[in-house]
Amino acid sequence: MTGAAPLPAPVVAEITAIEASLFVFVVVTAIVTALARDVLAAVIVFGAYSLGMAALYTFYRAPDVAMTEAAISAGVTTILLLLTLAKTTRIDHEIAFESVNWPAAGVVGLLFTGMLLVIPEIPAVGDPDAPVWSNPDVTGYYIANTYADTGVENAVMAVLAAYRGFDTFGEAVVVLAAGIAALIVLHREVFA
Amino acid sequence: MSDHEGSGPDDDVDDADLDDADLDADEREDADAVATAEPVLDTAMAGADERPHLSRVERQATPYTESQVIMATVKVVSPFVFTYGLFITFHGGGSPGGGFQGGAIMAAVVFMIAFAFGIDATRQWLANAAVVALAVGGTLAFAGIGLATMALGGAFLQYELLPIPKPVTYGMEGVEILGIAAIVSGVLMGLFFLLAVGFDRGDGAAVTDGGRDRDGGHDRDGDRSADAADAADAADHAAAGGDGEGGAAHATATDHGGNR
Repeated sequence: MTGAAPLPAPVVAEITAIEASLFVFVVVTAIVTALARDVLAAVIVFGAYSLGMAALYTFYRAPDVAMTEAAISAGVTTILLLLTLAKTTRIDHEIAFESVNWPAAGVVGLLFTGMLLVIPEIPAVGDPDAPVWSNPDVTGYYIANTYADTGVENAVMAVLAAYRGFDTFGEAVVVLAAGIAALIVLHREVFA
Repeated sequence: MSDHEGSGPDDDVDDADLDDADLDADEREDADAVATAEPVLDTAMAGADERPHLSRVERQATPYTESQVIMATVKVVSPFVFTYGLFITFHGGGSPGGGFQGGAIMAAVVFMIAFAFGIDATRQWLANAAVVALAVGGTLAFAGIGLATMALGGAFLQYELLPIPKPVTYGMEGVEILGIAAIVSGVLMGLFFLLAVGFDRGDGAAVTDGGRDRDGGHDRDGDRSADAADAADAADHAAAGGDGEGGAAHATATDHGGNR
């Protein structure tokens, strides 16, 4: 154990224009997803929301999460939802948006305010003193020893496949079980 | 008569009720003709219907539009997407990515092919055995690598014991490529085809319809859907819903006959 690895210089930057526009995009698409009257429109806007989230993850240096978000949420989930919608009847709507349910909006607003109050306690992006970085026993160990232990450069994959391989095996079995459960629910014996 | 007036939605129902039972029989025959002549009626109604959306019949069938643009685009793009999925999978150790993301991208290639060339054609091309082999074989490969190290005297997934060069690196790659990527792509393809087929009305629907008939909810739609194909049922619903006044008159006339 070598302790915390030499970390890159702190990147405590201002929010750039691209990040700000991505934030606005994500919030607007989320609200439209919740309020759109037409389900098809909601599904498509939800795909756009996932794409915005994927771009945001990339900006915050989580490319593995961004790839998963783009492939699964923006791509596969949208396709599966559209396929399901294609089997239903589409209703013509005179109005584009649902009317806002104000009690529900009030609850959401309270929750949102509570979460906003917590934000000042969260370390800044890239802060070297953030617990997730300065913890030598967990994060620091992976950063310092992943290549020596496993021979791969992607620490995320090393954690998933080697350090926490048994967890990943459980997740893989869960994915298989989800497919089998879908077969059972739909009364079918073959996938294709 | 009185209870039917209570349930009748509009004036056409009353017009139908003013006629005698012979006309009701005629109406019923018309309704049968509506159900049997589905394709012609469907296209005719699609022409008369000014709405831009697809009718229910078209939506019930596998949604497929043969488009030269889509087919040509998919032909050009899909090899690159598949290669990208392979790259993400195989290069997960050195760059962002891994089996999960790469498997999803490779499954998306099958989705693209299905949208371009038809889901049913893709289903026949990609046999069920292939999908099951990917999902189950991936799980077995993952478990096999883990159990192999246990057989060699170590712990589950203790890669150092594998008798290969650079055992940890290639053991992880094996888990990612043979295990996770195969599972994810197989299950995603399976979910796609399952959703395209939808609920299998073969036995389950027959049971519920039979029960409804025995309970006395014996409208003609129920009878027809119990023994006829889904398409006829859907066509009948479309006739009742899409045709407007005429369809409503037909439907209520048949209900009226059934209630007598």
